[in-house]
Amino acid sequence: MSRVLVRAVGVARRYGDIEALAPTDVELESGETVALVGPNGAGKSTLLALLAGALEPSEGAVDVHARVGWVPQRPAHYARLSARENLELFAELEGVGDPRASAQLLLERFALPAGRRPSGELSVGNRQRLNVALSLLGEPEVLLLDEPTASLDPGQRRRVWEVVNALRGEGGAVCFATQNLEEIDHADRVLVLLDGRIVASSAEEVFG
Amino acid sequence: MRAVRLLLRKDLVVLRRSPLLLGALLAYPIVIALLVGLVAGYASAKPRVAFVDEDGLPAVVTVAGRSFHIQSVVDQVAKEVTLVRLGPGEASRELASGKVVATITVPPGFVGKLLTTVHSPSLILRTGSGGLAPRVTQQVQALVYRLNNKLQQGYIRANLVFVRLLLHGGSGSFLGRRFDVLGLDGTERLLAGVPESERVAAIRHFVRVARVGLAQTGAALHATAHPIALVQPKRKGRTWVLSAQVQSYGIALTVTFLALLLAAGAAAAEQEEGTLGRLRRGLASPGRLVSSKVALAAVVGLGLGAAIAVVFGIVAEAGGVSGGEPWARLPLLFAGVALAAAAVGAAGTLLGALAREPRTASLLAVLVVLPVVFLGLVPRGALAAAWWVSELLPFSHAVRFIGAALYDTSPWRAVGEQALWLAGLGAVFWMLARRGMRTLSG
Repeated sequence: MSRVLVRAVGVARRYGDIEALAPTDVELESGETVALVGPNGAGKSTLLALLAGALEPSEGAVDVHARVGWVPQRPAHYARLSARENLELFAELEGVGDPRASAQLLLERFALPAGRRPSGELSVGNRQRLNVALSLLGEPEVLLLDEPTASLDPGQRRRVWEVVNALRGEGGAVCFATQNLEEIDHADRVLVLLDGRIVASSAEEVFG
Repeated sequence: MRAVRLLLRKDLVVLRRSPLLLGALLAYPIVIALLVGLVAGYASAKPRVAFVDEDGLPAVVTVAGRSFHIQSVVDQVAKEVTLVRLGPGEASRELASGKVVATITVPPGFVGKLLTTVHSPSLILRTGSGGLAPRVTQQVQALVYRLNNKLQQGYIRANLVFVRLLLHGGSGSFLGRRFDVLGLDGTERLLAGVPESERVAAIRHFVRVARVGLAQTGAALHATAHPIALVQPKRKGRTWVLSAQVQSYGIALTVTFLALLLAAGAAAAEQEEGTLGRLRRGLASPGRLVSSKVALAAVVGLGLGAAIAVVFGIVAEAGGVSGGEPWARLPLLFAGVALAAAAVGAAGTLLGALAREPRTASLLAVLVVLPVVFLGLVPRGALAAAWWVSELLPFSHAVRFIGAALYDTSPWRAVGEQALWLAGLGAVFWMLARRGMRTLSG
């Protein structure tokens, strides 16, 4: 039986007079993958950041009943630290039991450079993989991914979807934003956003 | 606290990995301390002044019956300058080349005029055109003042000899001519042998009045020589030499500048690198994030302040700078530096949160720090409004804390007051910065 892991009720975000996201209700249930689609500026990243707790809602509330991992659209890590140091630091901040072991595991899983090279000097693809790896620290049950496969080669994209599918298979929930319509095949549910509002809530509704 | 410690450690690692910035941070205290040491040494050094004797001063001069050993008088009065005996030509050349900053010439006939006790001989002062000229002029004026003080005693004694002659009668000399004086005592004796009359009574009355008047002459002469006496009560505390002021400003300026820039840059970098969003997800609250930047400013500020104090101390000891370095006070100084850096760091974090990206934050910090420092230098009497504004900024309190910590005999009251100011201002800036961080991240 599925359970609600994340519930957003009337959650909205405004920047001054600009409404980035109108009051929105969203639920993420265990064992499901939800795709957010829509043009640039539709409100996908804002909704994901609000669900992740990285952004404070202007109104409404988000109830989280599980550990949440978040992959922001722009890689978010310390450029002067190596991939390993970033993973170890965020593992310590997450309160992971063995930060070194967790960092080593993720370095291997995402084939990240294990040397002392600053992460800011890594390739765009490597930085994006590090971005995804950081979201998996603390073994999240919910994964929120903002265009996670952008800048990744086909092999790395496959690896990301393997992670997504594994998490869903373990009873977790995944919500990802994408502009690549081929990727909605990985989703059980599709939410279409336009001008900060959900305008459709199923693939059928969108594509017939 | 764990998040603060982890973020502080991260920021220190990042700092260590910025070779240019690290090099500047290591070189900065050494350069500042050396400059401070040079300024302090230059300020407290005795300028070299040529002493040109065109009159052929004898080893001993007797003025009004009092003997002066010229060399010992010069040694006693020339406390602020080093007098070097030179010939007229050599003195002019050294003044022109800057080897001496001034020349004092004793012109021909100086001693002759002095011995008359009725003419004032002149010393001739010539100064170079350098920045020290006003200071040397003041020091030579002080030298002449001290010489006059010594001579005045002789002059007064000589004048009192004449007064005693008028009172008691006897032989004296003036401008080389000897003379005999009857005196008031002799006049009274003569009057005693004269039959009483109205005229005799009038003369006797005059003698009594004159005796009373002349009896006050000694005090009157002293008062004439010193209409106003300057008494300086012994000050409680160490000597407030210029080196102390320069050191206080040097450390406070460095700490303010660096703490503001570092905290502003580090706070803005969290936004630019996108890590602010990650941290906000329960990993580090805005308050803890601000605390980590404040801790960074305090740690780096303490390191730099300590390095400046130690290097300055070595320079001061090696150069024999007046006042030296109060080594035992350094722990108190370090506490003040850390507190000041933390308060400034909180203000810097606020700037970083407002600026949102490191380049703007750094520029903003540079633009802010200069007026803050200049406001801290405005005396209260000069512009009260500016003084009050500076009271609301950490720099002036940092200067006072550091100055008191280093050079007050009983620094605790001043240090306590300034510590409260710094802690209070730091708390206000911390709260504003937390609000700024929340706005920035949310």
